[in-house]
Amino acid sequence: MIYDTIIIGGGPAGVAAGIYAARKKLKSLLITKDFGGQSVNSAAIENFIGYKSISGADFAGVLEGHLRAQEGIEIKDGLLVDSIKKQGDIFEVADNAGGIYQTKTVLYTAGSSHRKLDVPGEKEYEGKGVFYCSICDAPLMKNKPVAVVGGGNSGLEAVIDLLPYASKIYLLARSEVKGDPIYLDKIKKDGKVEIITNANTKEISGDTFVKSISYEDSVSHETKNLEVSGVFVAIGWIPNSGMLKDLVKLNDKGHIIVDPKNQQTSLTGIWAAGDVTDGPYAQIGPAIGDGIVALLNVYDYLNKKG
Amino acid sequence: MVKIYSTTHCPYCKMAKDYFTKTNVEFKDFNVEADDEALAEMVKKSGQMGVPVIDIEGTIIVGFDRQAIEHALSGKK
Repeated sequence: MIYDTIIIGGGPAGVAAGIYAARKKLKSLLITKDFGGQSVNSAAIENFIGYKSISGADFAGVLEGHLRAQEGIEIKDGLLVDSIKKQGDIFEVADNAGGIYQTKTVLYTAGSSHRKLDVPGEKEYEGKGVFYCSICDAPLMKNKPVAVVGGGNSGLEAVIDLLPYASKIYLLARSEVKGDPIYLDKIKKDGKVEIITNANTKEISGDTFVKSISYEDSVSHETKNLEVSGVFVAIGWIPNSGMLKDLVKLNDKGHIIVDPKNQQTSLTGIWAAGDVTDGPYAQIGPAIGDGIVALLNVYDYLNKKG
Repeated sequence: MVKIYSTTHCPYCKMAKDYFTKTNVEFKDFNVEADDEALAEMVKKSGQMGVPVIDIEGTIIVGFDRQAIEHALSGKK
């Protein structure tokens, strides 16, 4: 059997597309590792219109529940897609459990992953003091000094997640702190946060667990060392686009280039939406909107093709 | 008995617990945020501090890795 469309990813864009695919009665399959996308890492989402505040975990449940309430879309969760191949007029999608599926179109909404620092000690101490999910692992830093690397919103959110637990929080920003004023105000009010700007992280070290982080001051070129028990890395995200790099055009940051009118990629038959694309704002609202636009355009394409 | 070591707001812990509930797998939840003894046990078993840690009859899984969980569970039936 050949699907009309296979949606890859269970974040806001993928789930929105899945709901529309079911309502359009397309022969559709959604494959995802889990639901919610990177928004699950938020303690409280306060800018998704319709909810004054909802935790990332609850938001993931809302998305999954809404998708599962649809009839006619097949869902395979707990799986990763391994490859997408073009074979003549159709695409062949393989998952990591040996499943192979054929489809007329692909809607790719695989989102992004935590960007890594790429310094000595980061890999070695992953889980041993180096963390990427502050909402998960902040409570383990009770009464301990920690460093947060990243001066954008994810860095500020990590600091906020750590405020109730850590004894001291160093916020290391490569240049200036660039996050939202609403977060910055909250952080500056707390005496235990020390903001260090112009800091280039050099190394994370310790014994069994993390003991310190060193950075170079990019103005004075001095190297400094901070004694910390934890390093929370929050320097942004990299798009999960590697699988498609030989099929569609990516920009220099690895985002899939799409036409914002219809979310089509450079290859006919593949659409993309959400944070994996070159859309300018990585937000839940636009991801949902783009997922819907993409699916409706898939529907038009299938109808025209007949 | 499946054991899960978690923190209060950790989304992947919640996903794992929801998964066990949905698939009728009995489990015991240890909140390492409040329970220092459980935290020490978790670190000892997994050699690291990230949550969730899942102990399926001695098979230790770090994170909500559903395939690893399914594999460990099927081995125990």
